[in-house]
Amino acid sequence: MSTAMNFGTKSFTPRPPDKGAFPLDHFGECSAFKERFMECLRDNGYESGACRQRAMAYLQQLMANEPLEKLGFKDLINEKSEAKPEKS
Amino acid sequence: VVPGETALAFYKAKNPTDKPIIGISTYNVIPFEAGQYFNKIQCFCFEEQRLNPQEEVDMPVFFYIDPEFVDDPKMAKVDLITLSYTFFEAKEGQTIPLPGYQ
Repeated sequence: MSTAMNFGTKSFTPRPPDKGAFPLDHFGECSAFKERFMECLRDNGYESGACRQRAMAYLQQLMANEPLEKLGFKDLINEKSEAKPEKS
Repeated sequence: VVPGETALAFYKAKNPTDKPIIGISTYNVIPFEAGQYFNKIQCFCFEEQRLNPQEEVDMPVFFYIDPEFVDDPKMAKVDLITLSYTFFEAKEGQTIPLPGYQ
């Protein structure tokens, strides 16, 4: 892990994620969703904005397996749905 | 990736040993100055993750680049930002010192 020891420059402190950690998909239940997302990226020259629907589908699937976390991320899903209409 | 727009990226981790491993990861951003604009909404890092022998798992990161990135003259020539993760094996009783986390 590198830390910048240059005084006078802004130091980079790793920050924890805003909404915490994802549950890991140990059983590959979400792999199909991930594959569809990656397929979309490849078809669209890796332009992230083109694949937001599939990204959201993956995230919803991942969170669906962890019902407690899903309650915590309702605002995340709303934030994403709000962001989408702005893009189109 | 457009600044301000949330994006999803995947990493993959594999435990090639025949014993379960508990790991904890941290990240780095290059170029260094771009790190302040990199915001993670959710990821797999900073928390212990257990991988069973031979287990391979997808590790997602959900993030966005702060829109103020566009206004920073030092970032004008930056069109590639690289995010890297390093996994450490978590030793019992050891915690990675992380300011303001938990």
